[in-house]
Amino acid sequence: MAATLRLMFPWIALCGMLAAGVWAFSFQSLPPADFTFANSTEIESTDPAIVTGAPEGRVIYSIYEALLGFDPETLEASTEFGVAESWEVSDDLTVYTFKLRDEACWTNGETTAPIIAEDFAWSWMRMLHPETAAQYAYQLYYIKNASKFNTGQVEVGDPVEVELYDRPIPTQTFPRGTILHGECVSIETQENSEDAIYTIQTDEGEKRFIKNENPSEGVTAARNILFDFQHVGVKALNEKTLEITLNYPTPFFPKLMAFYPLSPVNRESIEKHGYPGFTKPENLVNNGPYRISFRRLRDRIRLVKNKHYWRRDKVELEIVDILAVENTQTSLNLYLTGELDWSPDVPVTMIPTLLERYQDLEYKAFNPQPFLGCYYYMLNTTHEALQKEKVRRALNLALNKEEIVSRITGAGEVAAYSYVPPGIAGYERAFCEQYNPEKAKELLAEAGYPNAQGFPVIEIMYNTHEAHRSIAETIQAQWKRTLGINVRLANQEWGSYLDTRRNLEYNVARAAWIGDYVDPNTFLDMFVTDGENNQTGWSNKQYDQYIEEATREKDAKKRMEILHQAEILLMKEMPIIPIYYYVDKNIVQPYVTGFYRNLQDVHPVQFLGIDKEKKARFTNSEIR
Amino acid sequence: MTQFILRRLVWMALTLWAVFTISFILMKSVPGGPYSSERALSPEIQKNFEARYGLDKPLIEQYFDQLTYAITFDLGMSTRLKDFTVNEVIAQGLPISATLGVIALSFALILGLTTGVLSALGRGTFTDVFFMSIATVGIAIPNFVIASITIILFVFLWQLFPAAGWGSASHLILPAFALGAPYAAYIARLTRTGMLEVLSQDYIRTARAKGLPTYQVVYRHALQGAILPVVSYLGPAIAGVLTGSVVIERIFSIPGLGSHFIDAALQRDYTLAMSLVLVYTTLLYTMNFLVDLSYTFLDPRVKIPS
Repeated sequence: MAATLRLMFPWIALCGMLAAGVWAFSFQSLPPADFTFANSTEIESTDPAIVTGAPEGRVIYSIYEALLGFDPETLEASTEFGVAESWEVSDDLTVYTFKLRDEACWTNGETTAPIIAEDFAWSWMRMLHPETAAQYAYQLYYIKNASKFNTGQVEVGDPVEVELYDRPIPTQTFPRGTILHGECVSIETQENSEDAIYTIQTDEGEKRFIKNENPSEGVTAARNILFDFQHVGVKALNEKTLEITLNYPTPFFPKLMAFYPLSPVNRESIEKHGYPGFTKPENLVNNGPYRISFRRLRDRIRLVKNKHYWRRDKVELEIVDILAVENTQTSLNLYLTGELDWSPDVPVTMIPTLLERYQDLEYKAFNPQPFLGCYYYMLNTTHEALQKEKVRRALNLALNKEEIVSRITGAGEVAAYSYVPPGIAGYERAFCEQYNPEKAKELLAEAGYPNAQGFPVIEIMYNTHEAHRSIAETIQAQWKRTLGINVRLANQEWGSYLDTRRNLEYNVARAAWIGDYVDPNTFLDMFVTDGENNQTGWSNKQYDQYIEEATREKDAKKRMEILHQAEILLMKEMPIIPIYYYVDKNIVQPYVTGFYRNLQDVHPVQFLGIDKEKKARFTNSEIR
Repeated sequence: MTQFILRRLVWMALTLWAVFTISFILMKSVPGGPYSSERALSPEIQKNFEARYGLDKPLIEQYFDQLTYAITFDLGMSTRLKDFTVNEVIAQGLPISATLGVIALSFALILGLTTGVLSALGRGTFTDVFFMSIATVGIAIPNFVIASITIILFVFLWQLFPAAGWGSASHLILPAFALGAPYAAYIARLTRTGMLEVLSQDYIRTARAKGLPTYQVVYRHALQGAILPVVSYLGPAIAGVLTGSVVIERIFSIPGLGSHFIDAALQRDYTLAMSLVLVYTTLLYTMNFLVDLSYTFLDPRVKIPS
């Protein structure tokens, strides 16, 4: 037996290999897509409420449609595209009334159902619900009482909603258990428990609740005790009318309504399939231009046009593949062999070659344009030397930013002298001082460090990346050359770097900010005292006041002026040193139509198309 | 025999537990979390997030929770690919990595055995020197360099294969070649050494003296002895092909376990990364175990003590 097996072994092995070969080669090839693009990474989820990144945005914009849409070129919010066909705003700019269009509908691919105003109220309730844990929940904080509902704060006198411990599916947040409404009468904290007992006046009289499954005698178990969502500023007046009440006039609110995380989701489907069941292509009920045909993890999401979408006639591409290619060199290879029509990123090392390659051609496949993003250094204002304004200004004056953008970054980035990037209509930027070595030295001397005597060694901290290192090295050399100060470099892996920054354990740290919406506020409001993203220890009462005033200001022009004043202050005291504004790194085939290089670098697929005639001409030509 | 298998299984369980514990500690001691982002979250939102993913519990509780999950083969939800359970991710990735691995290994075996035997038979000739020089180079060059070279040659210079992706047979060729090449080289050297040793044995001389044709001597008598080192190398090779595909999968954008593993570790996908470590451990252990078992069939000199 053993001997036979021994003799047979090579044959068995050979057969095994042949079988494997036949199996591998029997794969069905997919039918080709009309349009394929690289999406940088596998997305976290297709649930609009819980995602935050640009790759997720590209998918969500394709399968869902928010209340408003935006023009792909100007980014202006518009009723030409979204679920709403018109909107009105009250005189004090705090109450918006949206009228939904009749044609907009939900679909499961077969049947349709109308979208009603209540869908938005429910979707935002779900997004704001603490158990949904939406990272972008704060995008809805402009709505009255939304932050109270999200953070779970309840005070005596507040209207509250109590969810009992009777969820139909205990592992799912939705559908919720029985909800009781009432008013919070008192809150008793207990000695040996974190959970407080809430006394609530309901229709059935006063009752005591605790957020705990096993309450003591006379107390009712509550799953959640939250600020009553009925008192949050979102109301469905009727099936097609949605009223939203804001805390303050918020001029960029319509733009926010076009932002993908705020897209509505289908209540019925979520309550039936739960999360993540409702995200599966076979269960998906959506309202956007595309439906998901299938999703293969870390490979692709295949979209097919939604034949029930109300704007379907304007959507050109039938089948779209979204590839989760992580490596930029790989996506460039795919682009160069014609398998990708668009890649949002290229390898840094290839930028000079690509720029040169497309320099003299009529169509610039690679043509970086500035968008709303700023690369800057943050200074820890609690540091012994960096707490002095003159030192911070000296560091800025000693920086030759032109050298950095021309010699290091190389994709046409623009040296930054303001924190808010250019291009926002109606906003006048405030600038910091330009490169001036003499003045830098003077200021350093005035701050008590003539010729850098007694100046401590400072450290530049950045997250591990080749490009960040080159920039840090250049800055290290410039500061040494101009000011004579000694600078150390330290790189940290992403997670550690964020922790170090947050805990103010750095001297100087590399940072970047990409605007959430086209308004200076998205850049400026982060530097208020103790803002989560301030992270410099800087605090200025006047600045806080400017931001607060701007929030309350009704007049758009005056508001911009106040924000301008705030930026003047920021650029004078310099808790941060702007270095350059980002440019996009899209590379797009010449035959792609409807692609605009805009301020937010967003390019919803529904506006893209392919010029077939041109494509036929370009295939296999050297233009690629 | 049964005792041997049982003992090995107990050791496997212990190994898995140790690997699980060590990687859990390592994973949790690295700063950052699955929600790490340039946009800092307000403490309230962060609290909601941690509660949803059970990250607010004491570490020891998280440890036992996860251990229970692992034992019951319910590996939980991925913390990063939020719409999927870890089991779904592995179910999608494992067949892909396995396909790539099998093709790479078949290729390595066919090429390695053939060139090894030819080299041994023509010892000292040009063929021998030629094959063995290539093999030496093949062992020395890491697979991602081979991958880059094949891309330059067969994607850009001669447009024969797609640059990356997954879905058809033509997508398989380059990655399987790049992945299998170093193993082919190693197998070639092993086969040659084994053959040379066996060919100098008395029983081979006897076989030749009986007047058997060369191919019969090689196939019936020599190869069986010579192949033993190759077989014992297969265990580590299979494990190596499966774990070594990490870089190759990234270069060719192949959605296998390797890609999942890198991303899970970088993105602090605790549940997925932990589970993949366990999957890899199981694979390695099982492969070595099977090789040990196969010895009893292939080599009459090996007896498992009972």
